Amino acid sequence: MTRLLEARGIEKTFHNGDEDTQVLKGIDLDLEPGEMVALLGASGSGKSTLLSIVGLLLRPSAGTLTISGQAIDGLSEKERSHFRNTRLGFVFQFHHLLPDFTALENVAFPAAAPAGGLSRQMRERASELLGRVGLSDRADFGANRLSGGQKQRVAIARALMNAPDLVIADEPTGNLDRESADRVLDLMREVNKADGATFLICTHDESVAERCTRRITLLDGRVS
Amino acid sequence: MFAFTVARRYLFSNPLQTVLLVAGVALGVTVFIFITALIAGLAVLLTDQVTGNSAHVTLDPPTRVARVLPGAQPIESVALVSTVQRRQIRDWPRIEGLLRAEPSVIAISPQITGSGFLVRGEAVAQVEVIGLEPQGIDAITPISSKIISGSNALGADGLLIGERLAQELGLYAGQVVLLRTERNAERQLTVKGIYRTGLQSLDERVAFLSLQTARPLFDLPEGVTKIEIKLNNPTTAREEADFLAEATGLRAISWQDKNLDLEGALKSQGQTGTLIQIFSLISIVIGVASALVLSAYRRRPEVGIMRAFGIPSGFIAWIFLLQGLLIGLAGAAIGCATGYGLCTWLAGLTRADGTAALPIAPEQGGYVAAIVLTTLGAVIASVLPARAASRIDPLEAIQQ
Ligand SMILES: Nc1ncnc2c1ncn2[C@@H]1O[C@H](COP(=O)(O)OP(=O)(O)OP(=O)(O)O)[C@@H](O)[C@H]1O
Ligand SMILES: [Mg+2]
Repeated sequence: MTRLLEARGIEKTFHNGDEDTQVLKGIDLDLEPGEMVALLGASGSGKSTLLSIVGLLLRPSAGTLTISGQAIDGLSEKERSHFRNTRLGFVFQFHHLLPDFTALENVAFPAAAPAGGLSRQMRERASELLGRVGLSDRADFGANRLSGGQKQRVAIARALMNAPDLVIADEPTGNLDRESADRVLDLMREVNKADGATFLICTHDESVAERCTRRITLLDGRVS
Repeated sequence: MFAFTVARRYLFSNPLQTVLLVAGVALGVTVFIFITALIAGLAVLLTDQVTGNSAHVTLDPPTRVARVLPGAQPIESVALVSTVQRRQIRDWPRIEGLLRAEPSVIAISPQITGSGFLVRGEAVAQVEVIGLEPQGIDAITPISSKIISGSNALGADGLLIGERLAQELGLYAGQVVLLRTERNAERQLTVKGIYRTGLQSLDERVAFLSLQTARPLFDLPEGVTKIEIKLNNPTTAREEADFLAEATGLRAISWQDKNLDLEGALKSQGQTGTLIQIFSLISIVIGVASALVLSAYRRRPEVGIMRAFGIPSGFIAWIFLLQGLLIGLAGAAIGCATGYGLCTWLAGLTRADGTAALPIAPEQGGYVAAIVLTTLGAVIASVLPARAASRIDPLEAIQQ
């Protein structure tokens, strides 16, 4: 089996005026298909930065990245965008659902927009995913009429819409109470087991880490 | 198209804001249409006034040209022939026959015109004398219907004068006055009727008499000095004039060329209208652009998440372009309807004397131009917000 993700010597330096901050100082990271990895570390240790680089939202200052056998470094902005759409899924701390669309439309959006329309297959897939996150009865609710936990579950379903190889989650439970957080976590674990989707989850929450198959800790810009 | 669905949702998401925006665009379009219809109506009114009361084409004897006498030697033998002869149209009956065969010509009036003085006791007034065929008195300018005292029957020694001229000389219908012409001929004539056309030049300075009466007074036993013509379609006067000049060998002048200052006035009026139209379009563009820029800014996190999910930037640009298009179309349609309604209502308003209060032409409101330009303007206005939205950095937008 090919390795799902292979990051070598990832560095990231932010330039702010005359001041340069090196946040990542040479990260090597491998993910195998089906893993669910927790990314831990103190606040400011560079977790979100690493996730953004792995999620192709940010370019590293140095280092190489290969995802699902595809070398990322040479891709154009357009190709990176297409790669994100077809191979990656995102869950953020804030759900960022589209408030003018229903739960089902939000889930289907990553497939519908590039295709130019919402097909019947997309609806079926989206409503199946909503069933998986326990929100079948909320499919036609406007996104604004869902609770915080429900919104985050819709966001997870949305991340899974295009059957991504890798789901990247940055503090997915950071904004939820204990009960909702547990529910969201159980759900991710379930999807991970059932579909074999690989998860990379950044968190402060020890109980999140406990449910993962492996943990990686960042310390001062390096994997400790 | 899915971008269309998203654009529509965005517009319906804040109905009040959208309604206000569309209303603003519609208002601009209404102004555009009102101005267009008013300028067009004004042009029609002024043109009608001129074409209704004066000749569409005037035929004059050709101006003489200097020519070299036969058997000529040096420079002394080049002579102007014109001084010897009167300028007149001698074979006017033939030309009249020719004109009658012309389907576009609806009225023909052969005339003897010249200047003279009306003398009554101590009072003297300079007049422009028009001798015409009594049965064709209304052919060019409607006079009969404007008689306010006396009648239009010219007879052998009759004279019709305008109200102001009558006042100046203290004349009433039935009184006798002396006409002395530029040829130094004079004759006692009877004021048969007094007219009021409302056109100052006519009411103040013109005296009508019959062609027969005019002949001895202007020393023209056979000829006429000009032939005035009306056409079924005054707008073609320039082409008709060219054609008639060719056909008759006379000089033919269209009403447009005779009233070049009117053309200039209409042109500058049109330019004023264009300026107002441009300003109303600019205000539409600014209104739409500012609303959409604000909307794009408010939706940064959403747009950011779309970008994170790899939705193409073209799709995001389309969302905003289509919003502009929809706003433009809706505003233009509503503005056209209210503009037409407003113009129709204004056109129906009358003054106390029954004439229209505003010379407005509702059917000439430039509706197609308004729709096309407004829609185009609104789309152009959305280019900036569309570009801004499609370039949002997903990471920055999400972290906000
Ligand atoms: N765009 C940027 N420009 C400059 N510095 C940045 C930028 N983004 C992040 N940083 C800096 O990089 C460091 C790591 O930030 P990052 O967000 O990756 O930390 P984190 O581990 O996710 O922290 P937290 O647990 O609080 O979310 C911080 O010191 C931060 O100030
Ligand atoms: Mg972070």
